[in-house]
Amino acid sequence: MAHTDQHQCHVLCRSCDLVVQKRALPSPVRALCPRCGTALYDTPYCSINGMLALCIAALIMFFPANLLPVLEIHFLGSIRNTTAFQAAIAVGDQGYWVVGVAVAISAVIAPLLLLSSILAQVCIAKFALHLELGKKTLRMLLKQQGLLSQLTMLEIYVLSFLVSAFQLSDFADVHMGMGTFCFTMLFLLLLFLQREYNLEHMWGLLDDN
Amino acid sequence: MTTSSSLDNQTQIQGMNKGLCLCKVCRKINLTSNGSCTRCHAPLATRNYASIGQSWALLITAVILLVLANIYPITLITNRGVVTNDTIFSGTVHLVKTGMIPIAIIVFTASVLVPWLKIIGLAIYLTAISFNLPVSKKKLMVGFHIIEWIGRWSMLDLFVISITVALVNMGQLLDAKPAPAATAFALVILLTQLAAKVLDTRLLWDRLEPQNDAK
Ligand SMILES: [Zn+2]
Ligand SMILES: [Zn+2]
Repeated sequence: MAHTDQHQCHVLCRSCDLVVQKRALPSPVRALCPRCGTALYDTPYCSINGMLALCIAALIMFFPANLLPVLEIHFLGSIRNTTAFQAAIAVGDQGYWVVGVAVAISAVIAPLLLLSSILAQVCIAKFALHLELGKKTLRMLLKQQGLLSQLTMLEIYVLSFLVSAFQLSDFADVHMGMGTFCFTMLFLLLLFLQREYNLEHMWGLLDDN
Repeated sequence: MTTSSSLDNQTQIQGMNKGLCLCKVCRKINLTSNGSCTRCHAPLATRNYASIGQSWALLITAVILLVLANIYPITLITNRGVVTNDTIFSGTVHLVKTGMIPIAIIVFTASVLVPWLKIIGLAIYLTAISFNLPVSKKKLMVGFHIIEWIGRWSMLDLFVISITVALVNMGQLLDAKPAPAATAFALVILLTQLAAKVLDTRLLWDRLEPQNDAK
């Protein structure tokens, strides 16, 4: 058992496998690997209730953000608009389904899955951590967390409708509406949620029990 | 010099030599002898030696596709009956000509600079591991983290194409369609992200000689 105690006070760098002595940190500070500079750990803190609030707000915002058009153009009297998902379908329809799938996943599907997953994790942490099923589900969700947050690219999408608006203003009148606003709000809420979320802390919940 | 490096050898112990291993999935320290992680039950591996070969294969495929993505047109624009093929590069040049310099810079960075930098960076990284090049490992690692982070920004171009195609669809008057380079470009993003993800960076620190970082 001496061995277990010994590696409680060490961390391994994930990039270079260096053994580093673990020390207590003040809350905004992040420990870096002395050899390769990779972020090792920070004080795992996250407010479960704060995350719950942000998560519900983001999920509510998700629907108008994806049902209302993100961009609208007026061209010679006709009006055309599109949502993120319709845009993905449009390229898919042209036979470019690789592009369509990539856009649909990174702008719509992954953000929705990520939000649902965090909501489920928060609920388990609050109410069901003592149950075996709760722990099992939490473990499964945490394993997918890294992939889901990598696939979520709302910040890039927000920039892309600004770029499109400027490019199209060459030919036509471009309008942004409620959909644009909701999508930007969704991005901001998710940004704050991901800042609050700490994967190491969530794994820690499984350790204590 | 020798004292400092021997001192380094004493203090810089690899987890592998202590019989410890970091879980790739949940980042918990485990005893290598356990076989699988005590927290998330994922199988443990001290090093993934096959990852260099896999990463090279993904990278070479990505290079070929990136060349194709730059040669072939990425969008087909019909404006009052006139059809223009835009490649990634000519699209950026067009933006510069119409005076939208800030937008041109954003598009150029996301669709030209980032993919090429990423491929060159990964190639340097893999060459350094494969052939033991005398390069500073610390600098390589910083570069690697930047590559991991900027790679996703190339998606910008595909988002813009999808929005444009969905909006601009008015027959002979004005029409935008994706062209073959779009698929190649999407695959480049996917393959380069995978090449970086697959690679076990710990191998760099096992193989290269410590003297390159002694200064
Ligand atoms: Zn390190
Ligand atoms: Zn694990």
